[in-house]
Amino acid sequence: MTIFQRRKIEGTIALTLSTLAAFLGLFWLIFILGDVLVHGVKSLNLSLFINDPAPPGVGGGGLRNAFVGQLLITICATLIGVPIGVLGGTFLAEYARGRKIARMVSILADIMVSVPSIVIGTFIYAVLVLPLGHFNGWAGSIALSIIMIPVVLRTTEDMLTLVPWTLREAAFALGAPYYKVITQVVYRGAATGILTGILLSIARVAGETAPLLFTSFNNSFFSLDMNQPIASLTVTIFQYAMGPYDSWHEQAWAAAFVITIFILIITIFGRLIIRWRYR
Amino acid sequence: MAITLKRKNPVDLIFSSITGLASLSVILFIIGIMYVLVSESSLAIERFGILKFLSSTEWNPVKEDFGALTNIYGTVLTTVLSLLFAIPVAVGIAIFVTEIAPNFLKGPIGVAIELLAAIPSIIYGMWGLFTLSPIMSNYIEPVLKKFTANIPLINILFQGTPMGIDILTASVILSIMIIPFTASIARDSFNLTPAVVKESAYAIGATQWEVVKNVVLPYSKLGVFGGSVLSLGRALGETMAVAFVLGNNHRITTSLLDAAATITVTLANEFAEADNDVYLSSLFYLALVLFVMSFITLAIAKFFLLRAERKYSR
Repeated sequence: MTIFQRRKIEGTIALTLSTLAAFLGLFWLIFILGDVLVHGVKSLNLSLFINDPAPPGVGGGGLRNAFVGQLLITICATLIGVPIGVLGGTFLAEYARGRKIARMVSILADIMVSVPSIVIGTFIYAVLVLPLGHFNGWAGSIALSIIMIPVVLRTTEDMLTLVPWTLREAAFALGAPYYKVITQVVYRGAATGILTGILLSIARVAGETAPLLFTSFNNSFFSLDMNQPIASLTVTIFQYAMGPYDSWHEQAWAAAFVITIFILIITIFGRLIIRWRYR
Repeated sequence: MAITLKRKNPVDLIFSSITGLASLSVILFIIGIMYVLVSESSLAIERFGILKFLSSTEWNPVKEDFGALTNIYGTVLTTVLSLLFAIPVAVGIAIFVTEIAPNFLKGPIGVAIELLAAIPSIIYGMWGLFTLSPIMSNYIEPVLKKFTANIPLINILFQGTPMGIDILTASVILSIMIIPFTASIARDSFNLTPAVVKESAYAIGATQWEVVKNVVLPYSKLGVFGGSVLSLGRALGETMAVAFVLGNNHRITTSLLDAAATITVTLANEFAEADNDVYLSSLFYLALVLFVMSFITLAIAKFFLLRAERKYSR
């Protein structure tokens, strides 16, 4: 065998292996999504959305409490997390642009994005659950918002940095103070990007389970009271999937289906916006 | 630049301080988490010390004697195994997407990888429990056992009954979870290789693989390494993907077919049930250990990624 043949064969083998790797990734996605789809659609029915859980063995129960609870927790987390994240990102990209503090905060935020979410759960447990003496919905929302803030902050910073500096100079030249330049010129230029970042951060926290386990805990009854334990889809999935009843497993699959579809739609939508706006 | 502007406007002063406070919240959270975890675990720190806690394999709520070693062992073992499975696949995916794939495939595979990253970890965990675990215990693990039965040393890894609820299954799920992170960072690093350098390698007659091996990989090794460490940090703290399929077994086992416990799994299973102060305090101590471990890992990852970025931007 000549050296040329050997090089060619070696190349073919290596490239085939990486092609296989790519299709392995694709295979897992199809396998997992397909599985969730097949099991989820089978157990999906109207009573899942309009009924509260029935005792095991009694048919016809649903997960209305968990759907509503999840929605409440996520909305409150968004309301707390998004303003702080956007404002923080604004500071880094505008007032502190190029300073050491901006660089440090942005590195720390990057680290915070990947800090184990269960640790944030234990932190909130110590701060908001232990002193009050009972699990509560607000604790869950705040735990999620702590996960959300660094994500929103970093995307906001990046998006604001993309707005050309000359645009700001034009506004300064008209005599506008900096806050007016930011709110009326810079935010408008970066609005789509920031909105996409917010969407993706919602997708990120909507599927979080670990920080809710000992903050908002669970509640098998319908409740809108954020001062009390409140059900969430993800914790319910954990409880039902680990439970012994087949009917629980079916409902867990259905809930998994709904939450996966919700998150994937938001993610795809967000990616489409980015592609359409920042090509 | 903005810094040189004089802020005469009072509203501007208010707005800038509000945004400043908002951005400082990130630092506050980190300090707050550290402070709260230390003060909550002070009871356990006093009782078990630092080295003794980290090296004790005891986890006995009845006798109120706790040590972290079994949890740390489980965490490190599952994480390292999952990285071993994930990194080759992730680098392969990155090579495929940047170098081999025809243009019409690049988009779909890229999207697929991103979607894989968006699936919540609880879905991975549940899928692992109901789908992967039976497959592992019925098909894959018996085969592994049979093939390794006569190989000394390696057969230790596959002793015991294949139950599907074990370290191996948990590592496989974890690896599927971290493939997308690693792959997308590797892809971004590969993409930064200047076309001129690659073209000159082609011009002297290098094959496509030789360009990848001798030009792209060396050029982007910092980024790929940083990405791998970042995935390590993520895998350390992953809870739900492993909580379903790891059991909760506070023992140090040599077989990959045994149940184990990671720090995260212990926290998820026992935190809400801890019925006395020492128990709860020890769980906070575990959380502190995990926080420190992952923070250091992530900081190292960030350091390498920043260095890589600086190198490319020159």
